[in-house]
Parts: sequence; C-alpha cells; structure tokens
Amino acid sequence: MAEFIALLKNETVKILRRPRSYIGFSVITFICLLLQFAFYQDGKEILSFVTQPLENTFAIQGKVLNGNLICFILLGTLIVQMPLLVALVTGDIMSGETASGTIRFLLTRPASRTKIVLAKWVASVLYTLALLAWLGIFALFGSRMIFGVGDMIALSSDTVTVIAGDDVNWRYGYAFLIASLSLILIASLSNMLSCIMDNSITPIVTAMAVIIVFTIIGTFEAPIFDSVRPYLFTTHMASWRSMFDDPLPKADILKSCTILGLHSVVFLLISIIYFKRKDITT
Amino acid sequence: MKRILTILLCLVCCCSIAFAQDDAKVIINGVNKKFAQVNDYTADVFMAFNIPGVKIKSLSGKAFYKKPDKFRIKAKGIFFLPKQNMGQDMNAMLADTKSYTAVLSGREKVGSTDCAVVNIIPLSNSGELVIGKFWIDPLNSLILKSQITTRNNGTIETYNSFGANAALGLPSRIEVRVEVGKFKVPKMLAGDINKNSKQQGNTPASKTGVIKIDFSNYKINTKLKDVVFTEKDE
Repeated sequence: MAEFIALLKNETVKILRRPRSYIGFSVITFICLLLQFAFYQDGKEILSFVTQPLENTFAIQGKVLNGNLICFILLGTLIVQMPLLVALVTGDIMSGETASGTIRFLLTRPASRTKIVLAKWVASVLYTLALLAWLGIFALFGSRMIFGVGDMIALSSDTVTVIAGDDVNWRYGYAFLIASLSLILIASLSNMLSCIMDNSITPIVTAMAVIIVFTIIGTFEAPIFDSVRPYLFTTHMASWRSMFDDPLPKADILKSCTILGLHSVVFLLISIIYFKRKDITT
Repeated sequence: MKRILTILLCLVCCCSIAFAQDDAKVIINGVNKKFAQVNDYTADVFMAFNIPGVKIKSLSGKAFYKKPDKFRIKAKGIFFLPKQNMGQDMNAMLADTKSYTAVLSGREKVGSTDCAVVNIIPLSNSGELVIGKFWIDPLNSLILKSQITTRNNGTIETYNSFGANAALGLPSRIEVRVEVGKFKVPKMLAGDINKNSKQQGNTPASKTGVIKIDFSNYKINTKLKDVVFTEKDE
C-alpha cells in the first residue's frame, strides 16, 4: 500500500507540475466569471427569452434570477466542454512517458505494471474531481454569493420545473456526483488510449474526437441514430440533469450511473491488460 | 301590411334588448352591492397549478386586496399567477357601470345552479377589455363563472366557488383556466443536448393551464395599508 501511495504521490506531482493542468481551471474560472457577469448585467433580458411565452399569459412571482438557476445554466454549458479539458491532461499520462522514454525508468521500480496503471488512473481521477470541485465552487457558491438563493427554475427544452429552495442542495450534491462519474469515464477513456498509443498527442486528440463524434451523433436528430443513441456513453453523461426532474426518474438515473461506471471499469481493465503486455523496449 | 309587420318586429326587438339590458343591470347591481361592502381583505391561500410545460408544486401564501383593484398574493418562492387579477379585476370592472353595456344573453347552468348569462361590452375601443361574459347566480348575486377576453392576455375563464363569505361575494375557491402556448427554451440555456425534437414533439401547440386558489381565514375591512402591495418579495 505504501508503495502505491508513493506512486500515486509521484503521479499527482507530475500532473501538478505540468502547466497544461491549469488550463482547465483557468477556462472554468474565466467562463464562470464571464457568464456570471453577463447575467448580472442583462440577466432579466436573457431570462425573458425563456420565459416570454409564459409571461404572455402568467405573471411569474418570486425571485427567478438567483444563484441556483445561474449554477444550473453554468453546469449545462460547461459540462459539455469539460471532457475536453479532462482529456487534455489525462490523455498523455502514459503515452507522454512512452514518447519521452521515462516509462523505462518508471518500470525499473519494483512496483507492478498494474499498480503503475492504477496509480496513474487514480491521479487522473483526482485531477478530474479537483476540476469538478473548482466548477462547483465557482458555479454554485460563487453564483449564490452574487445572485442569492431561492427556488430554482430548472430549464429543459420544453419544460420548466420549479424546485423549492430547500430541496435544491441534495439535488446539486447528486448532480455533481453523477457529473463526476461522467468525467471519470472520460479520464478512464483517455488513460486507456494513452496506454495503447505511444505518441503523446494522439490519445488526447482521439479522446476528444470520440467525445465530439458521440456528442454529434447524440444531438443530430436523424432517425438512423435513434437506435444507437442509448448505447453512447455521451447520452448518459447528461443524466446529471435528471436530478432536477420532478418526479425524479430514479430508474433512469441508476441505469445511466451503472452504464457510466461500467464503462470506466472496462476502460481501466483494458488499460491494465494492454499495459501489462506492452513492449516498452522498442 | 309588410311595413307594419317590419315596424312591429323592430319594436319587439328594441323592447327585448331594452329589457335584457335592464335585467342585466339589475343582476350586476346585485353583484356590485354585495362586493361594495368589502373595502379590503386578507386571506390565507393555497395554490395548486396544472400548467402545461411547467412542473410546480402546490404552495401556501397570503392574499391581500384593497379597493378598487389592488390585489397581491405573497408566498415563499416562485409561483405563477394569471396576468389578470382574477376576481378582483372582475369586480372592479363591473363596479364601473358607466364604462360598458351589459346585455342579458340567456340562461345556463353552472354545476347545478341556474345562472343568468350577462355579456359586458365596453363602450370604449381603446381599453384592454374586448368582451366579458359572466354567469351570475341571480338569486344570490354571485358570479359563478366568467370568460374575459382582453387585448393582450387572450381569454381567461374563471370558476368561483363560495362558502362562508358568500354574503360578501368573496369566493372560497377560484379556478382559473387559460390557454398556454407551446414554448421552447434555447439549448444554450437549457443545455439538454440529448433531447431531440421527437421527444419534444408530443406536446400540442397550446393547452389549457389551470390554477386553483383556495381562500380561507378571510379578514375583512381591516384598513389594510398600501405598502403591502409595493413591498418587495422576500
């Protein structure tokens, strides 16, 4: 165990020392502040795009523009981009070492190859969770500080769900948990590609390409993709939103979480199996 | 002979319209007389919503009214109310008898009560009201149903139930029905990129939204202060 912790510490330090690891944090900070500023300046006008058809008939009472709603919009906007930020760092965690040759030094240590892959995977997961926690701090707590709290309006394409203010916190807790499962899947995919490929950049680009292609297939409204859509992990990555449905679609959420978790496990297993057989002498 | 018959027919028509107007005026006066006793009130309210495309739980609050048309519901959180002030707007409108012509157009049953149907036609073309139709219980001078068409807010149907405060024309329940158009949230704001139009296409272009408001614990003529209507939400 001490050996594994030492490996993990080593991998975490490596991630922390790379300047690109901070790109994700900077992008999240910038986008959060930018959108919060936009909502602070023109929030009512932006919201009126959404509420206009309802406001023709109803007078919406209460504080609609609050931190809970802003956080929901920020999450919806950023969680689509976050896989790319995760892949940027976790995509070359192994291939970077293969390309530079440091993998040989790493494997001279007594630790098994499985432990090395696991240590890199856990370090990637920790990075991913840190990124998500950063998003949580800026999107949820930052927005609440600026806009205050209150009942939350959860938006979807054709429905508005009003959630009571004291019913919001646990939903956000689970939403972040589901989002973390989604991003851990991306980290696992990038790690797997990084174990398979030797070039530093190729796994990052491949992981990003997979995410983009799957997202396009999931979004593109062609009947030919209807049968494929449920099997794409990107479809289940958006299930954090279901935490704001009423009634809560528990079965769907559980199914999505299982699919996301299974994907991560399979990707991790492939990484271990492939890396154990990998020839690093050539 | 034909000329005489035509003149007679015209006379009969004019007389029946005049009588219909007189009847309508009498019925409306009865309603106005009842509500004139109320200068202001506060009441506990319980609101239940069934609005297409909007998921919102029922909630409690407090209603405030002051003559002639000040009305507000205060509740903790976000809720939806019709743009027109429901019964309170109706009463204020009916009280201004010089601004409209009332015509009795027949009799219909609302539930088990036989009602007089009174049409209200505004005298001015520039106002918000296009036409109002009221189903009034002539025996108790209570508006049981109304259908108000306005220029900006379309048609709103209101059903009133009365309880302990029927003597003052104050309802125990108001049920408002209103046409709600289909709405679509931009994906940039909604963020549900996986939802396709096939999933969304099941909702029709417009549906009826229903808001039920139960009134209880009325406190009448307590000299309510105006500040209640201008205070900011919590």
